[in-house]
Amino acid sequence: MKPTALVLTGDGINCGEETSFALQLSGFDATLTHTSDLLNNPKLLKSAKLLALPGGFSFGDEIASGKVLAIKLEAALKDSLKEFVSEGKLLIGICNGFQCLVQMGLLPESEKDDTRLASLARNGGRKFINRWVQLSVDANVPCPWLEGLTDFDLPIRHGEGRLSPAKDSQEAVKKQAPLRYSIDINGSFDRISGLTNAKGNVFGLMPHPEAFVRWTQHPSWTRLSALPDKSPPGLRIFQNAHAMVAN
Amino acid sequence: MTQQAKHKEGEHLLEISKTATICVAVLSETEPDAFPLYWLLVDKDSLTEGKIPQKMVKDLSDVLADSLCQEVLVGQPGDRSSWLKRFADGEYKYFAERQFLPGVTDNLAHTVQEALKLKGFANQVRVASGRGFLFKESAGDAKAIADALIYKDYHPLTDRFNVHETDSGSADGLLKFPHVVLPETPKVDEVDLELDDAKLEKLSKERLLALNLDEMKAIRQYYRLDKTKADRKDRGLSLKPTDVELEILAQTWSEHCKHKIFNAKITHTDNSKPRDLRTETYNSLYKTFIKAATKKLSQWRKDLLSVFEDNAGVVKWDNETAVCFKVETHNSPSALEPYGGALTGILGVNRDILGTGLGAKPLFNTDVFCFAYPSNSLPQRPKLLPAKAILDGVRKGVEDGGNKSGIPTVNGAIVFDSGYRAKPLVFCGTGGLLPLTVKVGNETRDAVKKHTRAGDLIVMAGGRVGKDGIHGATFSSESLNEGSPMSAVQIGDPFTQKRLLDFVIDARDAGLITGITDNGAGGLSSSVGEMASITGGATIHIDRIPTKYPGLADWEVVVSESQERMTISTDNFEALEKLAEKHNVEVTNIGEFNDKGYFEVLNNGTTVALLDLEFLHDGCPVLTLEAQWSPAQITMKTGKQPEHLGRVLLQLLKHPNICSRESVIRQYDHEVKGQSVIKPLMGPSQKAPCDAAVLLPRLTPDLDRSPALAVSNGLCPRLSEHDTYLMAQCAVDEAVRNAVCVGADPDTLSLLDNFCWPDPVFSDSNPQGKRYLAELVRCCQGLYEAVLAFGAPLISGKDSMKNNFDDGNLKLAIPPTLLVSCMGRVPEARFARSMEFKKAGDLIYILSAGVLGLAASHYEEFNGWQSIMLPELDLDRAPTMYRRLHIAIKSGWIRSAHDVSEGGLAVAVAESIIGSKLGASLDIGEYHQYLSDLYKERGTQAFRSWDFVTRADSLLFGEGPGHIVVSIDKANQAEFERHFEGLTVIKIGEVVNEQMLTIIDGELPGSEKELITLSSQALKTAWETPLPFD
Repeated sequence: MKPTALVLTGDGINCGEETSFALQLSGFDATLTHTSDLLNNPKLLKSAKLLALPGGFSFGDEIASGKVLAIKLEAALKDSLKEFVSEGKLLIGICNGFQCLVQMGLLPESEKDDTRLASLARNGGRKFINRWVQLSVDANVPCPWLEGLTDFDLPIRHGEGRLSPAKDSQEAVKKQAPLRYSIDINGSFDRISGLTNAKGNVFGLMPHPEAFVRWTQHPSWTRLSALPDKSPPGLRIFQNAHAMVAN
Repeated sequence: MTQQAKHKEGEHLLEISKTATICVAVLSETEPDAFPLYWLLVDKDSLTEGKIPQKMVKDLSDVLADSLCQEVLVGQPGDRSSWLKRFADGEYKYFAERQFLPGVTDNLAHTVQEALKLKGFANQVRVASGRGFLFKESAGDAKAIADALIYKDYHPLTDRFNVHETDSGSADGLLKFPHVVLPETPKVDEVDLELDDAKLEKLSKERLLALNLDEMKAIRQYYRLDKTKADRKDRGLSLKPTDVELEILAQTWSEHCKHKIFNAKITHTDNSKPRDLRTETYNSLYKTFIKAATKKLSQWRKDLLSVFEDNAGVVKWDNETAVCFKVETHNSPSALEPYGGALTGILGVNRDILGTGLGAKPLFNTDVFCFAYPSNSLPQRPKLLPAKAILDGVRKGVEDGGNKSGIPTVNGAIVFDSGYRAKPLVFCGTGGLLPLTVKVGNETRDAVKKHTRAGDLIVMAGGRVGKDGIHGATFSSESLNEGSPMSAVQIGDPFTQKRLLDFVIDARDAGLITGITDNGAGGLSSSVGEMASITGGATIHIDRIPTKYPGLADWEVVVSESQERMTISTDNFEALEKLAEKHNVEVTNIGEFNDKGYFEVLNNGTTVALLDLEFLHDGCPVLTLEAQWSPAQITMKTGKQPEHLGRVLLQLLKHPNICSRESVIRQYDHEVKGQSVIKPLMGPSQKAPCDAAVLLPRLTPDLDRSPALAVSNGLCPRLSEHDTYLMAQCAVDEAVRNAVCVGADPDTLSLLDNFCWPDPVFSDSNPQGKRYLAELVRCCQGLYEAVLAFGAPLISGKDSMKNNFDDGNLKLAIPPTLLVSCMGRVPEARFARSMEFKKAGDLIYILSAGVLGLAASHYEEFNGWQSIMLPELDLDRAPTMYRRLHIAIKSGWIRSAHDVSEGGLAVAVAESIIGSKLGASLDIGEYHQYLSDLYKERGTQAFRSWDFVTRADSLLFGEGPGHIVVSIDKANQAEFERHFEGLTVIKIGEVVNEQMLTIIDGELPGSEKELITLSSQALKTAWETPLPFD
């Protein structure tokens, strides 16, 4: 039986469908789940192996990106989510979903409960950026989501992706950063583009893995004389997730 | 429920005496001199002994600020004197505040209200948002600050902006909560139409009805009919028209909704023809040229499912789905308030797609802007916004409109011409995906059609009704009092609309929608009025319609253009309401469709409007117009070929119509939905400016081999000065050519036409009207021929006919502009091509069907020349050439294909290099020889000098239709050349590893051969000259 993945949608989340598609390609049984349905019935989490908070503009990104969605989820789901994570189930936040995880204090993980260590602030250039970036994996930070990946390309599409840790949390944050931009693209602390918890079951990143699940998504695919047979890196991330829950 | 009882939540707070205001400022270290401000209106009772309770302060801080990097100031209005002191201590001399005017859409405030509720805040809280700015003494005085920030940080039509000295010590002058205050609800008025002609015209003008005398008389005649009188007596309605009725008629019969000019009877005189052949009469340009062309082509195009009927043209995609496409303009609103104008333009056309069939889902946006380039030589008038303010506002509006809705902006164009000082053109296009059928129980409904039946309820879904957009731009801001909600300007709320969109798609799939359309121009009067013609009648109840605030007149509720609303017909309101609740969307049953033959409006059971549907839709008299055409008089002015053609090329690459659009493109999400195949910028450095977008409409397995959709556009307004006939043909060719270059099959293309014209109705105040109309006639003729030649039917279109500026002192008009948008099928995604060179050793060819010209070219503009050397499009050969190119692409021979457009061949090759990290070595000798032979063969000397038309500068920088630069793998040379036999395909060079562009003309003697030698880096640097956007 395929493992179940819930993909949150509604309230201005935009990337639900392609995230769900990527999970399906990777072997999950993915269901788009409206925030209202999940809030009214947190038990839906019980049968799921993975919860994805996709990219988008939840609540129009007003006040701060991901903030109001975080307030909404915290108000009704805080305990259920904690239980979900502590059971070792998989939680991924992509772009706006990552912003939401950071707002909720789930990433970066803090030793003291409920203490936020960092924010995702407005890009250094003060502009929204849509472009493909090269990413590099830090092998010293274990992250099963990135298994088998070293350097690869993904697109970013955000206006608030500059990771800004509190001064005394910088080292703690670095220890949770398996993924970096190869160049400074938005002023993010230590070029960090993704974070994971110690257990490795929670992963948040600003780039969009669901936007590189076929080779014809890459900006220079037209140079290839033939399309490669292997999975593109974005798809690999979801396939790694599948491997984690299938074992 | 009464209208008064259904305005926005927290209504009792409108009793100002029972409320208290809390002011909040959110300060941060990173941006100490600009920060968010909020005004909150809470129940007085929620204060503790007149003080703000600590819990409230904490909740506000939690919601409004980031505790890691921000500090919150919370206080009652008077407490702000301490803020001023703090600012003064920080050596700031001025504190400026911006706040939305009462009634202006405040998206941030709405979200804050929702967030506070989630935090358990009392239900009755109302929020207004704004921004604070701090300035040191060096900023000058209050006026200098206001002048520096106007249009950048505030707009007088939407915002209040005050500057205070921080050392005043008192908070008295600081801004308070922006209450909407309206006088008592006005009654329904009766209007006497038994007036003489002059008074009828005056009445139309005073009430901003925009109806002419014939139309006013036709309305008067309707009220004189015995049947009308009998019907009205029966309903207890006065025999005179009500203001509600007049407003409904004015909206329904407006140029915007009725396209009266395109349906007018036109007498067209062509002064270039012999006297007895000069005059022709057209009964409707629309039927004669646009509909007729599509009708001819429809016998071959069985995939056209719905054309010119619905809110968008619909074309079958596969056995389960159809794609639809619509392009709108939002010029006048963007001239007035560019951000809101562009934002509502996009959200509006998104709703057109949502209102197509039983509800299509938006797939992509395309945006084309025509601006005046900001410069000191532009005319400055008090009523003309600064050119820079217009383009920055529009750009930002498109960013928010597309990005926040999760719809990728995949394609577009930015055209600069000083003629657009009269009005900016903002074309907003959206494509969508529609299932062919929807299952409802055991029934299968055709989802391309509406199925509204008598007895279905009329449902308004989404936003509420306010004064927004009533009489749009004609409303004068000066006449507003302090508390008037701003009605001329609309902002748009992408978040509310996104929820609405998700809801509609779910409701469609659940079979809860029998018909749907959007509320755009004319509001409910148009949407319900149009849908009423499906069943033959509709009745709506004003008292059920939710409003943003009380105090609207009945006619205002009916014609308000408040955004984010759809009108839905349903036979299962209960289920629809339940689904809406899940999506946090407000739906209201506002009436019922019937077959009684009337559009009837009631308020609390009393009829306030009763209009015969047939009269409403068909009663508007046909316009009779006159058009006069004489060929353009152009005085030739040319010169010698400049010595350094390389320098010319660099200058052209810097031209605002040619240089890189990257800074704009990067701020638009062009990849959301994960469906892109060809993006706006491709190649190893993501710089190659692609000719058109390619995307996958459906997410299904094996996408690389699935069919994909190409989206392109074409517009050539610079040619209008010479001839709009040619302008139209070139626009069609450009759209088609761009689509073919990225891999679209030329036999699958569907086109959209968008006309933006200077007022073509002659009058004393518009003496050029006949010429503009003649140019419109010629444009339609050219469009018709090109559409038939390419076999690409028009499926939808729109026109905007009043693109002039006239403040009594200065008259300006835009260049007549036709935008042609195009979509077509790429047989498999993997066939799609990008335009940059791919590999050293590849051969470069030019494909030619027609000739390029210098007239209206950027090269001519650069030299200050003016010629009649017009480009020509060979309509016999171009379609064949594009078909063969398509086969060559599918055969895998083509490595890159790029259209020759602004800046000509040299720019096309330069662009193919810039995106590639490669170089090119060109010899245009053979091309030169070909053109010399061509002109000799013609035997006619169209131009005084042969040299001129075949001179190197003309070859390199001539512009026009029908030309494509391709690069191919050398190994395929023989097959490629054989494949194009009988057509003009000339080898002009080779892709090289060395990052250089060298161009020689082997036909020329000695050192004359050397034309251009430039490094790829020099080309790139010139091309990356920034556009004037913030």
